[in-house]
Amino acid sequence: MSEAAIKVENIGKKYNISHRSRRTNDSLLSALGDGVKNILNRTGSRTSVEEFWALKDVSFIINKGDRVGIIGRNGAGKSTLLKILSGIVKPTSGRIEYDGKMASLLEVGTGFHGDLSGRENIYLNGSILGMSKKEITARFDEIVSFSEVEQFIDTPVKRYSSGMYVKLAFSVAAHMSPDILILDEVLAVGDAAFQKKCITKMNELSTSYGRTVLFVSHNMNTIRSMCTSALYLEKGNVAATGALDKVITQYQNYFKENISKGISVGIKHLSNSGEWEINTDAQVTVSWEKYRFKPGWHCDIACYSFDGIKLFALQSHSFPNFSSLDPEANAITFTIKNIGFSNSELRMDVGIRDCVDEPYSIVVENCAILSPSDKGLPQYARQDVLVVPETTCKANKYE
Amino acid sequence: MKTVITSTDKSLLNIPELKRYGGLFRYLSLRDVSVRYKQTKMGFAWSIIRPVINIFIFGILRYLVDRSSGFVESFVAVSSGIVFWQLLSTTITDVSNSLSTNANILTKVYFPKLILPLSSLLVCLVDFLIAFIIFLILFFSFKGLPPWQIIFLPMVVTYGVILCFGIGLLSATASVKFRDVKFILPFFIQILFYASPIFLSSEFILSMNIPAWIKVLYQLNPFVFIINAFKFCFYGTFENYNVTYAMVSAVITLFVLIFSVKYFLNFEKSFTDYI
Repeated sequence: MSEAAIKVENIGKKYNISHRSRRTNDSLLSALGDGVKNILNRTGSRTSVEEFWALKDVSFIINKGDRVGIIGRNGAGKSTLLKILSGIVKPTSGRIEYDGKMASLLEVGTGFHGDLSGRENIYLNGSILGMSKKEITARFDEIVSFSEVEQFIDTPVKRYSSGMYVKLAFSVAAHMSPDILILDEVLAVGDAAFQKKCITKMNELSTSYGRTVLFVSHNMNTIRSMCTSALYLEKGNVAATGALDKVITQYQNYFKENISKGISVGIKHLSNSGEWEINTDAQVTVSWEKYRFKPGWHCDIACYSFDGIKLFALQSHSFPNFSSLDPEANAITFTIKNIGFSNSELRMDVGIRDCVDEPYSIVVENCAILSPSDKGLPQYARQDVLVVPETTCKANKYE
Repeated sequence: MKTVITSTDKSLLNIPELKRYGGLFRYLSLRDVSVRYKQTKMGFAWSIIRPVINIFIFGILRYLVDRSSGFVESFVAVSSGIVFWQLLSTTITDVSNSLSTNANILTKVYFPKLILPLSSLLVCLVDFLIAFIIFLILFFSFKGLPPWQIIFLPMVVTYGVILCFGIGLLSATASVKFRDVKFILPFFIQILFYASPIFLSSEFILSMNIPAWIKVLYQLNPFVFIINAFKFCFYGTFENYNVTYAMVSAVITLFVLIFSVKYFLNFEKSFTDYI
């Protein structure tokens, strides 16, 4: 029986959104008049207040040593939850109980001051993150060497390149040692090599001596490699919690079944195993109500890695045999071959327009997820890459 | 160590927690002290130059308005008040701005927020101390040995700073929700300046031909007592000393301090919803 590290009971957070009726003030005088009215008449009828629950009735228990990935779409309440847990924002209802020292990392480089040197900023930022002077001094050399900016440690950070700046900022954060660590998706900063270093370090931080970790990310691979369980938030509620695979699958199904703005996207894998293995095809079908677009419409799709890197985009008008002149046509199917995407989900944006030269009449972002399988992936491919080109390799004698 | 967060949490004046965040307090203060005059040619000299310019301006003004003293005496008479006022007014402004200038930290990390106004206060004091020591040396090398009353100086400075901290804290808290405060405050400070015996002495104002209620109102201003007490340490005579108004000043100060801290703590947990 493991011990609970964090107990969350019925947490809710309400925000009041005020809507102002749109009557423009046509003169300075009337604007002033309104200002006075606002002061005199506090219940003025010009603004209406709407309640918005960013989180509602969220309850869960996290055991000591659990590493929980928090997933969900933008605006699902992930960041609000982290802020409430770390004590920055006060909940409107509910109760949280936790055991031990908590540190949260919601941003890299909080409180960095441009006029201070790297050295001074390490101490300042460290103390903001809750480290004592002793702790910082003890880890100072480690922090500096990790950041790769030794040479400029006494230069004001406003002279740093943005890359150096975030590297230093991340390094301070990476050397905290709380019992409970709260991480928003801030880790991967800097150039590719440094990003890799960051992820390794975060892995090390979260897996060493049974620390409890809460980690928000959109990258399912990072979640898979770092976390032991997951929590899926949907519109301020807990949609699923528990075993990693179950929760992630549920989250991805949301995308697969998603019909938004009247555009539905279906994905079918054409391999025998039903997975999108290397060298097999996947069919992406985008469909809508008949007669919605004029004959001659065109549809483009773009696929991104979860880090936001655009991998490829396909435009119907550049396919030589494509025609959408049939007025009954209300769908388009792209057949895409897996050229060796490694096991990383790709998210997809779709845009449709009535004519090639026009702007899109509709754009649906994040409308689907393609999940390439790592079956059939060559042995030599690493797990953290996105595309695997066909390659041969042999040892040579070079004269 | 168990921590509980609930929706009904109220902040209390948690001294042990403040102590635990002593390191943060130190580094925030250190940051503000070392950044204050960064990239200026004159550096810390500015904390001396600013009062000197003010002494010059208001010395001339005083000479023009109040001809009872000579030209040089006018400068001597305004100097101590101006130097002290520099501390009081920057304390009010800096403490009042302490929350909004640190909004980026407030919304990303948890810590007892009282640290921010407190560290602003410390920075003002450090800034003042440098200028003040130089001023003391100049003043008494010019005027001769200080009177024995100078021993009250630390008490008077503490007293004035407490009142200004209270006012600053009050407006800092209010300005989280109502940015209007930021626009009102400069006028408020300006009015306080003219309604305090800084460049015109209390005696001069009270002997003026103005309605009696204005004179009462003038003496109700707690700063009148504070500035006169400060001058008392320098010149050895207490202008316009009146026990009743001294008590009024003390009561107002105490009230402002207690009320502002209470208001601040009541509101502390919701700062991030508004800032």
